[in-house]
This record gives sequence, structure tokens and C-alpha cells, in this order.
Amino acid sequence: MKVLVAVKRVVDYNVKVRAKADGSDVDLNNVKMAINPFCEIAVEEAVRLKEAGVATEVVAVSVGPKACQEQLRTALALGADRAVQVEVDGMVEPLVVAKLLKGVVEKESPQLVILGKQSIDGDNNQTGQMLGALTNMAQGTFASEVKVDGDSVTVTREIDGGLQTVKLALPAIVTTDLRLNEPRYASLPNIMKAKKKPLDVFTAADLGVAVSTHVTQVKVEPPAERQAGVKVEDVATLVDKLKNEAKVIA
Amino acid sequence: MDFTFTDDQLAFRDSVGSMLENEVTTASIRERWTGDSGENGDMLNMLNEMGMNSLLVPESCGGLGMDLVDFVLLADACGKAALPESIVEDAVVAGGLLSDLLASGQHTDQVQELLGGVAAGDIRVGCAHIINPYSNFAHRKDWMLLANGNDVHLVPKSDLKFTALKSVDPSRRLQKVDWAPSRKTRVAEGEVGAGLQRATLNRGALAAAAQLLGLAQAMVQQAVDYSATREQFGKAIGTNQAVKHLMADCAVQIEFAKPVVYRAAYTVGVAPQRADWAVSHAKTAAGSAAELSARNATQVHGAMGYTWECDLHIWVKRAWALAKEWGDAGFHKNRIHEWLLQPNALLGPEFTFGKRYIDHSDSAAA
Repeated sequence: MKVLVAVKRVVDYNVKVRAKADGSDVDLNNVKMAINPFCEIAVEEAVRLKEAGVATEVVAVSVGPKACQEQLRTALALGADRAVQVEVDGMVEPLVVAKLLKGVVEKESPQLVILGKQSIDGDNNQTGQMLGALTNMAQGTFASEVKVDGDSVTVTREIDGGLQTVKLALPAIVTTDLRLNEPRYASLPNIMKAKKKPLDVFTAADLGVAVSTHVTQVKVEPPAERQAGVKVEDVATLVDKLKNEAKVIA
Repeated sequence: MDFTFTDDQLAFRDSVGSMLENEVTTASIRERWTGDSGENGDMLNMLNEMGMNSLLVPESCGGLGMDLVDFVLLADACGKAALPESIVEDAVVAGGLLSDLLASGQHTDQVQELLGGVAAGDIRVGCAHIINPYSNFAHRKDWMLLANGNDVHLVPKSDLKFTALKSVDPSRRLQKVDWAPSRKTRVAEGEVGAGLQRATLNRGALAAAAQLLGLAQAMVQQAVDYSATREQFGKAIGTNQAVKHLMADCAVQIEFAKPVVYRAAYTVGVAPQRADWAVSHAKTAAGSAAELSARNATQVHGAMGYTWECDLHIWVKRAWALAKEWGDAGFHKNRIHEWLLQPNALLGPEFTFGKRYIDHSDSAAA
């Protein structure tokens, strides 16, 4: 079974991002970039499926500029067998990414596509679902457990107030939630081996997709600064403030 | 010439650095202080799985066969995390000495087997040098490489007696090692042994220098973070010039020490016969950067900086310990002075990057 895993290049989650002075975007100058944490979980799940003998090949795919090859190499170091980059410059919205991924799905014909549920930069949570719609494949989103059994995959989904288990006919799409697994760290020998693994580059035109824009980013601004806290003398004062100032208790 | 690190070397650093950042928390370091061994078994396994033990082991013994330029950024990352486990010393110093023994054809079968075990993470080998009176985590090693005069001995743990000693740094577990040298344990002698010990000293001092760089950067980062949030008279203390200058002084010393340490790593790798002065320069520069960073970071933290509860002291005490290990500033300055005062010392810009190959036998640079 071939597994296709999507990885996105985003600002490292440890970095405190800042908006540009003109508010047009986030300032990415000299900022450390990394694989989106949810995509890292997706890669880990695919590699575990391969180690368990369920998957025969893991292909990592990324849509973005040449720099995203760095993240594809990381995915290869984590255990993916080969990588595909769809070279696109500038900001690409989820619908276009989904269309491009559909093109890769048609080329690769994977039985299972695993994506992160969302990226920590755009926070859109759309690509997996859009890809499901475009490819007419079954989808199990927010997965916290994935079990492949013959020609179906059972996905336990994290939903509000509990868990839902669904059974999908393969080929299918799974988007990963935080608790699906704990990704490994790339070992030094595997980082070296990753250099020798194949990485193919396609353009949007190769996949027959026109990169169009439907959304314009108008403004980016940092969250409002939190007010400094105050120390209260006793519990009675605290309750009084919660009741009368914050009005969070009756 | 391209002196920058390769993409692979930077990827190694990022991978190991990210693992250490996530897994080596100050709470976990404090836990180690209360444990019997002082080490975290899970961490040792992770470091082994990442390939830290095998990086410098020759490929013929199952290692990756890489050199100190590949390792120097990893040692820096270990310093930054204040990693208590002695992986840097084990890989660079003990592993380096075993590789030298193999290269010099001494006891090849036994050494090859040990190196294979080290690369697989099955065997732990430590190394004690006469310049350090005590050995860190020696009691946790299966074998120790020990010096007796010019001779080098390889002694199994069963033939060693350990006496635990307290270090200024609670993460370190110093041991006084008592043992009896014998012909059976001797693996190198005479000039060969002396040469191996000299190379070991250089590797040890380089490993300490690289870790000191990481420690210094971590301390400055903590002080900067603290000065940006700690307010006095209605503004962050970091906005005051007196605080900024303290940190800027550290940053300058760190930036000046970095290329010196990287260069020493290169020299030890490609021309070990003339590495003494480069290593001493590195140890002196990194040691003074770390000691200054320790002092200034403590100052920036105010009275809190001296307390046990403030995590800063984890890094400060490691910097104090490493600045003295493998030769203190006086020792290394003397080695630099000796080299400078040689009548045929190769001084001047034309020799900065090695104008020509310098033969050890007729050069003061050796």
C-alpha cells in the first residue's frame, strides 16, 4: 500500500512571530522554519504503518517554493522513501493546495493520504477536507487513532465532547490530530541517507492546475497585550472581583 | 574557500538541538541530581538512537566515520541544553582515543570490538587524562582508558575502584579512579602513548570549549529574556543601557570565540600534529566568554541569580566546571605563549589559513 503524506513549511513553533511594521504579513526574515507539527505527526504515522508492514512506500509531498525541499528532506530523514515538491512561489491558498495535491494523487495513486489537520501559520483546517471533496475519497479528519485493515481504514476522530470512530473504504484521506502519535527525531545516519533519496519537482502546470487567488490578506496584527494581573489579599476579595469586576461568576 | 558548515552539519545540529530542547528540561536535570546514577537512561537511549555514539567511530567499525567539524555544533547544542550525560566526552575523547589506537595498529582486535560496541550503544568507554584529577561518570563506564606515565591502559570496570567526589556542578558525578597498571592492560607505551595522550588532551579541551560556547549562549539568552520581562520603575530592566552593555559584552566575546572553536575543530581533524595552539586558543576564548556570560547573566538576574531555585545556576556551575577541566586558562595561555615565542613561529596573515603544509618536525607551530 502506498501512502502519500503532505508536509508544509511553516515558522518553527518555538518562534515568537511578529507582524511586519506595515501589518501586511508576518515577518519571516531570519526566522527558523520547520515542518508543520501536524504534518510531522502525519509523517510519523505513515512511517509507523510502513514499519508495521502495512505500507510499502511512503511518499512525502510539499507545495511551496524551493526552500520547502528542506522540510521534504526532514520528512525523508524521518523515514519517507521519496519526495515530491510542487514548486509554487508566494502564498498559496488551501483550495489551490488541494487542487495541486489532487494532481499528485492522480500521478501517484496512493491508497492512503495523510495530512496534518491544519497548519500552525494559516490555521485554516481546510486542505484535507477540500482534497477529499476533489478526489471523491472518503475522509477521516482529526484522527487520534488509525488502523488499516484490508481494504478499509478505521479512524478514531477527536470531536467535541468525545471520540467518534469511522470506517473508511480505501483509498482514503486522514488528517491528524495532536494525540495520534509522538513524532520521532531524525537520527544523524538517517539525515545522511535522506540526501540520497529521490526528490522530484513538478510545477503547477505539470499537474494541469492554474494557481489562482480567491482570497487577499488584508492585514495582520498581533494579539492585544494582556493587562498585568493584580494580587488580591484574600479569597473574599478574589470572589468579589470575579463577581463584580470580571463578572465571570454570578 | 568555503568555511561555512554544510547543510548536513546544520541539519545534525537542528535535529539534536531540537531533541535536547524538548527533552532536557530543568526539572529533568534536577531529577537527575537526586538519582543514584545521575543519568537518565531514556536520554542515553535517545542519544544513541540519534547516532551520537557512532558519529566519530570509523565506518569499518560500524560508525559514521565523521570528524570533529561535524561534531562541534552538536557539542555546542549539548552545552546549550546543559546536558548532564557525558556523551560529548565519551564520543569525542574516549571514542577519539580508541580510533587513534586502531589507526596506530595497537591491539586492533580488542579496540575494533570496543568501537563496534560503542557505535551500537552496547558498550560505554570513558577516558581519564592526567590533567583532570577526577573523571566524570567514570563509574558508569564498562571500560576506562587510563594514563600511567606515557603509557595508555584499557581497564575493565571490574578492575577499577571508584570514590565519589562532589563537584561544584551537581549534574556532574566525579570519581577518583584507583587501579593497578599492568602489562595486560597496557595498550600503548612510550612515544606512541605520549602522542595519544597529547591528542586526547586536545580533543578533551576542544569538546569542553564547544560546550562552553553553548553554555554561554544559553546564559545570555536567559538573561536577555529575563531583562525583557522584569520591570523596575515601570519599565523592563533590559531597556537600561547598563544592562544592555553587560549583555553586549558577552555577545561580542561569544561571536569572537565561535570561529576560533570551529577552526580548532578543523585543525584537530585535518592536522592534529599542529593543533595544540589552535585548541588552546579555542579553550581560552570559549572559557572566558562562558565565565563572563555566567557573571553578567547572574548580575542581570539580581539577587535571584544566586539562588538554587533560579535555573540559571545549572548553566553557571557547568561553565565554572568546564572552564577548569582539560586545562584552565593559565595552562592554555602558556601553551599559546610557548608557541608564540618560538623563533620560527609561523606568524602573520599569510599563515592564518595555512599557506602551506607545515611539517611538525621543523615547525614551531606543532
